[in-house]
Amino acid sequence: MKKIIILITILALAACKSDSKNEQLDLKNASWQQIETEALGKTVNMMMWAGDPKINDYMKNYVAPAVKEKYDIDLEISSGQGNTIVQLLMTEMQAGKDGNVDMMWINGETFYQLRQINGLHGPFVDQLPNSQFVDLDNPFIGKDFQEPIEGMEAPWGNVQMTLIYDSEKTDQLPQSREELLAFAKANPNKFTFDNQFTGLTFMKALLIDIAGGEQALAGDFNEKKYGKYSKALWAYLRELKPYLWKKGETFPEDVAQMHQLFASGELLMTMSNNDAEVDNKINEGLFPESARAYVPEFGTIQNSHYLGIAKNAVDKAAAMAVINFMISPEAQLKKQNPEVWGDGTVLDLDKLPGDFKTKFQNIPARKYAPKRSEIQKNALQELAPEYMIRLAEDFRKEIING
Amino acid sequence: MIKKLSIAIFILIAAVPVLLGLGYALMYSLGLTGILSEGFTTTHWEETLITTTFWKSLGFSLYIALVVMLISLFFSLWIVISWIKQLNKGSLSYITYLPLAFPAIVMAFFSFQLLSKSGFMSRVVYKMGWIDSLEQFPDWTNDEFGISIIFSLCLLITPFFIILYSNLYQNERIAELKALAITLGAKPSQVIFKVIVPILLKKSAFTIMLFVIFIMGTYEIPLLLGRQNPSMLSVFIVQKLQKFNLADIPQAYAIAVIYILLIASIIALVYKTRPTFFNSSSSS
Repeated sequence: MKKIIILITILALAACKSDSKNEQLDLKNASWQQIETEALGKTVNMMMWAGDPKINDYMKNYVAPAVKEKYDIDLEISSGQGNTIVQLLMTEMQAGKDGNVDMMWINGETFYQLRQINGLHGPFVDQLPNSQFVDLDNPFIGKDFQEPIEGMEAPWGNVQMTLIYDSEKTDQLPQSREELLAFAKANPNKFTFDNQFTGLTFMKALLIDIAGGEQALAGDFNEKKYGKYSKALWAYLRELKPYLWKKGETFPEDVAQMHQLFASGELLMTMSNNDAEVDNKINEGLFPESARAYVPEFGTIQNSHYLGIAKNAVDKAAAMAVINFMISPEAQLKKQNPEVWGDGTVLDLDKLPGDFKTKFQNIPARKYAPKRSEIQKNALQELAPEYMIRLAEDFRKEIING
Repeated sequence: MIKKLSIAIFILIAAVPVLLGLGYALMYSLGLTGILSEGFTTTHWEETLITTTFWKSLGFSLYIALVVMLISLFFSLWIVISWIKQLNKGSLSYITYLPLAFPAIVMAFFSFQLLSKSGFMSRVVYKMGWIDSLEQFPDWTNDEFGISIIFSLCLLITPFFIILYSNLYQNERIAELKALAITLGAKPSQVIFKVIVPILLKKSAFTIMLFVIFIMGTYEIPLLLGRQNPSMLSVFIVQKLQKFNLADIPQAYAIAVIYILLIASIIALVYKTRPTFFNSSSSS
């Protein structure tokens, strides 16, 4: 029996042994050429939301082959987002292990959480040659949930929330909170928002509108303002609640379920954080060709999504090389094409080399989504992350449980 | 030696990870571990125990589990007693066991497509002219009684009990007992309710209890088909574990530990008061 216990102990210890590889290069002081050399032939594990076939196709059939050809890097993509990434990194960091994930697709709340646990490598963005083209002065890009990115994540794409409707069923589009309430009253059980990120983003836009516009809640989280304006938000949502889908007693679990309810005609509207999604979903055959997207006059949140490198990543140099390619003019141009993904670029077109500006301007127009220039005027900046945390908690208390 | 080795491997594979997980969850819930931990605290336990949401969630999970078990037991007993011969061969056995091939999430989507207001049933009823619009179809998904959750879980669980009962039917020589009872003058209803059903239920009592616990912990089906309030326990825990507030994670672990302790206490109580319950061979 003693031998068995010793055997088990050895096996357990072997299982716990870290397979760490020490980073040879001092990345912070390395030149880009050194970083590129270090990146050659490595494997980069990227974790990202993999819920959209077009995005998956772009990553798998464009980005991965491109970095393979350029740097002989094998880009392995795994599915996971938001809290999954945070939980994984927290566990790995607690165990003192090297990361299974080198880089990840993140935005706002995940960036905030990863900063909380000190889980990000950086600053690294300035070291990427293509960062010179990124429009970092644009507050929709240079700030993530009001937090300056400070080189800790690289901007990758920029989107704005839209409401999606069927033009054959809805012609009077609600433009204000009052009109939205009237719309819900006139069409009971046909409007709602989801219980996840998209729904919260929608509520943030309502909160900003109640507070008096974009600048009212700009900057750090303000408890006093939140207390005052959130009360009005809950009062508004309580008035709206009886006319929502299922009388507001429950909400779709995520935006995919909302899309399905919209496609089957159970809802008159769905929402998307990607202003080009209506084109994607019509092309996929999920939405009818009469589907259109719009931004109400009270505005919707415009935000960017980013690429981060895990603090415990094994191949940080290779991750930097991949990210540098992903923010390159050619990769961004490809990504913005609605046939490919339709994701807005984070590059400043005036800074681009050669004829890239012309190429960006000549991307085939989106057929069903509104033009970016049209909705920009109603774009609202993301609020500080604490607003989202509090809204999520209080939405549960005040509306779901209320 | 081989026996000891088997026991050691079993402990290493089955018991140690569970106990380590429970220990980790307990430490996390008490603030003794976790990157954002600020030291020992009982706050998360207090918050969990005083909040009505937890108790509502526990009650709702128990309600779903009991209703699903009742319905599944009724149908499985009925099918086995009525068609025991056909169950062992032919298309009936194939149809009966088909739901076993469905993963829970697929079954949830299937039920959603079937039972929602814009789903298949609603459209059939509308086409038949029984309702004037799809809107009039009753709320069977994301509803307060968990109808579609119960429907999906029954579809998944009933085949397990059909297999169990058809095997018990053979092993307990029920056909012979049935013939004996009839010879002694029992009516058909007496044969079913005084002989067959009591034997099958008694023999499967422990399995039924395990399935109640299993149903209480299901996740995918109530996530898609349930409500946010009340939600089943697993959905409630994941909600706390994976939402935007990292400070909620210890509370998620506290809920999980309290739930495990409650279940373990019930099993321990049953074991202490009725040890034969755990031994199907001596319980008949």
